[in-house]
Amino acid sequence: MRQARITTLAAGAAVVALTVAGCTPSDTVEADGPVTLETWISQDMETLFPGDAGAYDNISVLDVVYDGLVRYDPETTEPYNYVAESIEPNDDNTVWTIKIKPDLTFQNGEPVDAEAFARSWNYTADGDNGLYSNYFFGIFEGYDEMQPTTDDDGNITAEGAADELSGLKVTDDLTLEVTLSSPFAGFATMLGYTGFFPIAQECLDDVEKCALEPIGNGPFQVTDWQQSQELTVEKWADYPLDETPDYDAIHWTEYAAGETAGWADFKAGDLDLSYPPTAEVESAKNDPELSERYVERPGASLTYLGFSGYTEGPWNDIEFRKAISMAIDREGIISSLGSGQATPADSWVVPGGVPGGEAGTCEWCVFDPEAAKAALEKAGGWPEGEKLQISLGDDDAEVEYFTAIGNSIEEVLGIPYELNIVSSDDYFSTRAAQGFDGMFRNNWFPDYPLNENYLSFYASGEPGAGHWGWYSEDFEAKLDEAAAAPSLDESVALYQEAEAILAEEFPTIPFRWSFSATYYSDRLDNVILNPFSGAPILRKIEVTA
Amino acid sequence: MGRYILRRAVQAVGTLLLVMFLLHLLTTVAIQLNGNPAQAFFGDKVATPAQIAAVEQRFNLDDPCYDQVGNPCLGPFVERLGQYAQGDFGTNLRGREVSEIVATAAPNTLRLFCVVLVTWLALGMLLGSAAARWRGSAGDHGIRLTSVLIDAFPVFVLLIVYRYVVAVPLNGWAEDTFGENSWPPYWFKPSFDPDHPWATVVVPGILLGLAGSAAFIRLVRASQLESYQGDHVRTARSKGLTERRVVVHHVVRNSSVPVVTAVGLTFAEALGGAVITEGLMNIYGMGGVLWEAVRNDDVGLVLGVVTLLAAVTVVVMIVVDIAYALLDPRIRYE
Repeated sequence: MRQARITTLAAGAAVVALTVAGCTPSDTVEADGPVTLETWISQDMETLFPGDAGAYDNISVLDVVYDGLVRYDPETTEPYNYVAESIEPNDDNTVWTIKIKPDLTFQNGEPVDAEAFARSWNYTADGDNGLYSNYFFGIFEGYDEMQPTTDDDGNITAEGAADELSGLKVTDDLTLEVTLSSPFAGFATMLGYTGFFPIAQECLDDVEKCALEPIGNGPFQVTDWQQSQELTVEKWADYPLDETPDYDAIHWTEYAAGETAGWADFKAGDLDLSYPPTAEVESAKNDPELSERYVERPGASLTYLGFSGYTEGPWNDIEFRKAISMAIDREGIISSLGSGQATPADSWVVPGGVPGGEAGTCEWCVFDPEAAKAALEKAGGWPEGEKLQISLGDDDAEVEYFTAIGNSIEEVLGIPYELNIVSSDDYFSTRAAQGFDGMFRNNWFPDYPLNENYLSFYASGEPGAGHWGWYSEDFEAKLDEAAAAPSLDESVALYQEAEAILAEEFPTIPFRWSFSATYYSDRLDNVILNPFSGAPILRKIEVTA
Repeated sequence: MGRYILRRAVQAVGTLLLVMFLLHLLTTVAIQLNGNPAQAFFGDKVATPAQIAAVEQRFNLDDPCYDQVGNPCLGPFVERLGQYAQGDFGTNLRGREVSEIVATAAPNTLRLFCVVLVTWLALGMLLGSAAARWRGSAGDHGIRLTSVLIDAFPVFVLLIVYRYVVAVPLNGWAEDTFGENSWPPYWFKPSFDPDHPWATVVVPGILLGLAGSAAFIRLVRASQLESYQGDHVRTARSKGLTERRVVVHHVVRNSSVPVVTAVGLTFAEALGGAVITEGLMNIYGMGGVLWEAVRNDDVGLVLGVVTLLAAVTVVVMIVVDIAYALLDPRIRYE
């Protein structure tokens, strides 16, 4: 009997052990702390190293942790000097002299000087490190010598010969001299981008640690990052410059991919900024109390259609491309699918969002079924019995949009279509390898606010190269001319001329601009969206207790 | 018993190796067919071959076998096994330690499972026992009907309704009634809060547990009914034992074997439900980590996570087997 009882106890213990292993609650409820702005980012943010950050999330965090040489005007997006005292080019925009404001330091006390920028840029430009922002340094002299050599199969055969950019010189403590491999009038505009932020020596000594615990020079310090769950930054007491808000801390909750910004948490009062999932957009709009705490503006990211100019097909005739473009009812598709959360695009550069961006540069981006039919006839029609293939990555919302585009084309022109939906890895490598046949989706999110950034990637260098197999000698000559213009204004105007050439030759079809919007809690004020990234400008927000 | 456990452990290692190799093959083929994740790293940017090669090297995907469709990539697999043997679970594509990811995500999933298991066992044992004890009564019919209803109601519907319709008002009510810094508002947070991991996981866990409890209720009922008719129960009764003692010691204990089996089996299966619950309630857990890892062709992370999960499952199975022996004197492992 005694034996049986012990066995029973042991059995019970085994079941309980299975059940409640480690089930001892230990959380505590704490009292109110400093004034904290509660917002969100997505869960897959992997790094806060400036040279490796290229996503919406780490860019918006780094924007309050680091200060760049320039910052951008929230209305016009034009750059103004911030950490830089002055940025001056020589006559042909090839040599740039950057003077840095004196007495600035990192949060660990190291000086923010010319050396701090040089060590950051050299590390990122070194191709052997495989960092995201590496390509920004392609315009520096000496970039090529820092890249690894590869064989035809894409395997590295030798590391880069140099470890430092020959075109980057520290002339004194606070002065940098940058030599570009070709003229570029918009160079100063690039310098506010994350990839150009300075790093401390302590950061370079342990890059992995620095990616998780950044040592910034901005108004906020990272105090706690439980990666994939939450991130907290607190105000840096010794911040020497003036662009810093009044509240004390920012807390980001990290949400899983596909989760729309914690709308339920926002409604429960746990988030200060949020946007509803598609199903709730209408009810949020109709809520009179909520709609007073709402800001929106067109975004700067362009979704557009490209063609496989490297394969045989009707799309190599400009009249055919015009026909397709005029057969797409942009307005109708966007208003019915996205609850108006996008703007029909009729230009290649975002209007109003960056210097040189104007609406209406695309003459054939209007819905005109008659003109579309006429253009198709001029192009010789569509081959009988064939289907137009439209390729895109496997994103549900995009599939809806592109089904609507296909339907619109089929309805107006009678061209049957089929969607070719591929995984995103597959999409990018197929596009890079010129593997699509027909029409395919493209998207461009610009890196810095200048119309050049929307145009220069069309320069393929030779006929048949690039994503669309498109090449125009005039276009590339115009880009070179603009880059060498004596002033930024003149340069912007020349880039506009380059856009006009694009509009004339019509290799790609603009479809829609992204859309940025956010609701905010009743304790926030002065919520402004960055016209360029679409993110709320955290440094401008006011929080009342 | 010792030899039995040893034999099981050796079997377990074999199973583990097989699982790892199959997963390695699957993810490798996915990379070979889908294209290299290094390309996706650059997204819309046009990357040069040198940039892509450097990122491939950084992601540990620079072995040429990843470009050759059908090549099983044995070299990288063996290398990885060597690292595992030394306790190094490697990193994900972006260089984050797999062991660190698991150390963050696993406790959250375990918390969820704790609540789920307690819910299963509590509901299953209570309702199942009651239904068996008073077989054929209105209560029995009611319990059986409830179990069918629970089965018919998908867990994600339950969770979505809870999160978007019920949680916000409930949370507001709790704040007004009990004060902002008391416990009840945390129980009804619409999302998981890593600073209050237990309080915010209780309700999602109960909901997920509720969804899986129907099978338990029926299982417990059926096995107890069998026990009630067993010879040993008749003997116990004829010895003049009290009804309470008969039920607790002879019916409930004897009918626990199938329940323990089911707990073991559903443990692995529950991970599927956890993906949904974790996703909807924004719990950073193993289900979500694995889901994203597979989507991103992150070979290192998939293998590391699955190896750990498989190891845990194997251990649970062994524990279940040992529990049999303890629960049922007829089962002996010699």
